Amino acid sequence: MDRPRTDEDQPLVARTQAGEAAAFDELVVKYTPRLYGLVYNMTSNHEDTNDLLQDVFAKAYKAIRGFRGKSSFYTWIHSIAVNMTLNFLKKRGRRYNLSLDDMDASVHNDKEFLELTATSSPVREADLGELQRRLNEAMMKLSDEHRAVVTMFHIQGMPHAEISKILRVSEGTVRSRLFYANRQLQNYLEEFRKNPVS
Amino acid sequence: MDEFNENDIGKLLRLKRHEQPPPGYFDNFIHEFHRRQRDELLREPLWRICLQRAHDFMFRLNVPSLASYPVAAAAMLVCAGIISFKIYQTPQPNNLASVAHQPVTVLNAAAFDDRNDWSLAKPIATRDFSFPLRRNFRQSAHAQRAAATPRYVLDSTPVSYEPAFNF
Repeated sequence: MDRPRTDEDQPLVARTQAGEAAAFDELVVKYTPRLYGLVYNMTSNHEDTNDLLQDVFAKAYKAIRGFRGKSSFYTWIHSIAVNMTLNFLKKRGRRYNLSLDDMDASVHNDKEFLELTATSSPVREADLGELQRRLNEAMMKLSDEHRAVVTMFHIQGMPHAEISKILRVSEGTVRSRLFYANRQLQNYLEEFRKNPVS
Repeated sequence: MDEFNENDIGKLLRLKRHEQPPPGYFDNFIHEFHRRQRDELLREPLWRICLQRAHDFMFRLNVPSLASYPVAAAAMLVCAGIISFKIYQTPQPNNLASVAHQPVTVLNAAAFDDRNDWSLAKPIATRDFSFPLRRNFRQSAHAQRAAATPRYVLDSTPVSYEPAFNF
């Protein structure tokens, strides 16, 4: 993952704070794909993700003058995105539409995809497409907070420490949420493997 | 048959990275962002835009580095309070009462006494004019003697200058 060790965005942040809007545009371009993945996997809806991302960047632009650099810009913008998404999900309730049609064709070249489909794993036995659909359903059965942790850890590849900074909880809490969420996903998929028609 | 373990779930979840928005979405995102910002700006009331501009101007002057806004606001309030207190300062109620009951002659004497310089503590303007301004002859004469410089001209006309009444 392309996580900055030091705050490499500081020059762009400083230029934005000095009133240079073009510098903020660079930050938007840089972080949009990454934040899209985060928000999309929490909302499971493209339109909601688009609206949320626009709001996230608008809020960040308004608040960037108050950004003092105590955390990296990376952590700060992720924190805004996660909090706004969690608030949105609380208001929205449970509604989602995900399908593998959304998956990019590059998945077929993914090393893990090849591993999953080539070996004699339980994934091989079930139809991978159906399994992904079930996984998405299982994801949406998790609480919003658990889904956020799973998204950041498994999909975005963030370390526990980074997640704890973004969510402003202890690392122990992050690990605990992750353990519970993994267990839930495991149980749900296992149920599907035993009863594929259900 | 193997069971799903955490590693399998992790691998399946990582495949979700390939779920992508429609082609061209990221290219258009920044344009959409600019459009929404413009729309929002048009909807904002004028006073808020002016406030924002003023805020931007202050920020460019780097005022926040000198003092935080709450401290500056508090300092301004304290200054305003002190100034207004100085300007609108009034004597204590008991002093006012004593001044009101003093004869005018005492006020005048105090005001013109060399030992008591002019001060804000005893302003002439705070004199209470509610008590009668009429003074008896003795008071008036006493006040005149106390305040005025000595005069060596007689007020009344000498007897010898009075017209003679010849019947």
